[in-house]
Amino acid sequence: MPPAQEVAVEVVVNGTTRTATVPARTLLVHFLRDHLRLTGTHVGCDTTQCGACTVALDGVAVKSCTVLAAQASGHEITTIEGLSKETGDLDPVQRAFQDEHALQCGYCTPGMVMAVRQLLADNPDPTDHEVRHALSGNICRCTGYQNIVAAALKAARVSR
Amino acid sequence: MPHALDLLAEARAAGDEAKFLAGGQSLLPMMKLRLAAPQVLIDLAGLDDLKGVRRDGDGGFSIGALTTYRELQRAGAVAGAVPALADALALLADPQVRARGTVGGAVAHGDPAADLPPVLLALDAELTIASPAGTRTALLDDFLQGVFTTDLAEDEIVTAITIRAGGARGSAYAKFPHPASHLPLAGVAAVVTMEDGRVARAEVAVTGISSRPYRARDSERAVTSRAPAPDLLSEPVLSEAVALVADGITPLSDQHASGPYRVHLAQVLARRAISSAIKRAQTGLDASGLDARGRDTRGLNTRGRDTHRAERP
Repeated sequence: MPPAQEVAVEVVVNGTTRTATVPARTLLVHFLRDHLRLTGTHVGCDTTQCGACTVALDGVAVKSCTVLAAQASGHEITTIEGLSKETGDLDPVQRAFQDEHALQCGYCTPGMVMAVRQLLADNPDPTDHEVRHALSGNICRCTGYQNIVAAALKAARVSR
Repeated sequence: MPHALDLLAEARAAGDEAKFLAGGQSLLPMMKLRLAAPQVLIDLAGLDDLKGVRRDGDGGFSIGALTTYRELQRAGAVAGAVPALADALALLADPQVRARGTVGGAVAHGDPAADLPPVLLALDAELTIASPAGTRTALLDDFLQGVFTTDLAEDEIVTAITIRAGGARGSAYAKFPHPASHLPLAGVAAVVTMEDGRVARAEVAVTGISSRPYRARDSERAVTSRAPAPDLLSEPVLSEAVALVADGITPLSDQHASGPYRVHLAQVLARRAISSAIKRAQTGLDASGLDARGRDTRGLNTRGRDTHRAERP
């Protein structure tokens, strides 16, 4: 069987069905950024460590640099762009990041927001320790994490 | 819905050029670094009957190879029955990687520094392996052979991992992680079975310091049949087991840690894991390890405040 060079991908992204034919080697992060022009998801380390590429796949946070677009075909993706409402209102986690000054350069921020959303879905009332543990897959170079943790705890309080 | 045997036949036809893709959390990073360059990836994701955890006839557990770490964490019966598994899953990689990585992948990849294999080794795990020719079983201890080297043939897949149940058992896993990748520079799993206040059996397994995760059988012998409770945690008994944990092993040396430092780490972690396993066997979950809401948040790794505190092995 000759190996396929290209694959057909059909994904529901932020509620909309998107289809494309892409090289089989295409990573999900590149599919989102380059093919769908959803550039809120970032490539940071490309070694599965920094988490700047975090998106939700079937509602669960994953690192999109370590998933092939072909693996996502037939599934649902939520990116950072899918969080704010059509009215422009921010998602509670986004608002908490704004209120608590939880970003400086903003490069890690989309991934951090997606990871905090996962934490609160799994554990709506986390301790400081649990927040830090849940963010162990996301690296920030600017903030020292203090305000990110504060934003996560604030979002938890607001959402309860 | 693909059938496993069809995928296995495809793999045989594709020969050297094909690798199976499960969670991809080890394979895809290796491919990005060109450490692996298969021309064909065969996606196992559709094999739903390889997912999930079942109790087997002897009260042990059979874990489907495509069960993700996240799914295993959320299977309360297993995590509750084997605290070492809960320890390892909490400390393994990060939540995003755990959402994709699979137990079968952890076993088949043969990484010398992985968190789950030593826990499985300490539980005498047995693998079920399928190929176009049929099904076979293998002990994990025989299956793991070296650095990214296992007994798995190119047209075989691991379908299930079976771990035994036991009597009055305590278990624990302790690791020293690389701060960015979280891979264990050293990790020790301990399972202890008590009978009449003595250690009836002990299993100790080490990862991260040599060419494959291994059972530290000299350490196991040093704690087995030891004197009743008050003496078990005493200096001479534990110190002997700890000193033997890397005996006969050629430790790995690289830019992250030297060989002697890895041995030192393994000894420190062995003391923690064995003493915690014994405490848990004696008392159920050690109450002092619970937070105000009754949850065990005490990781046995050395991040945070513990990192710079000198600790004798």
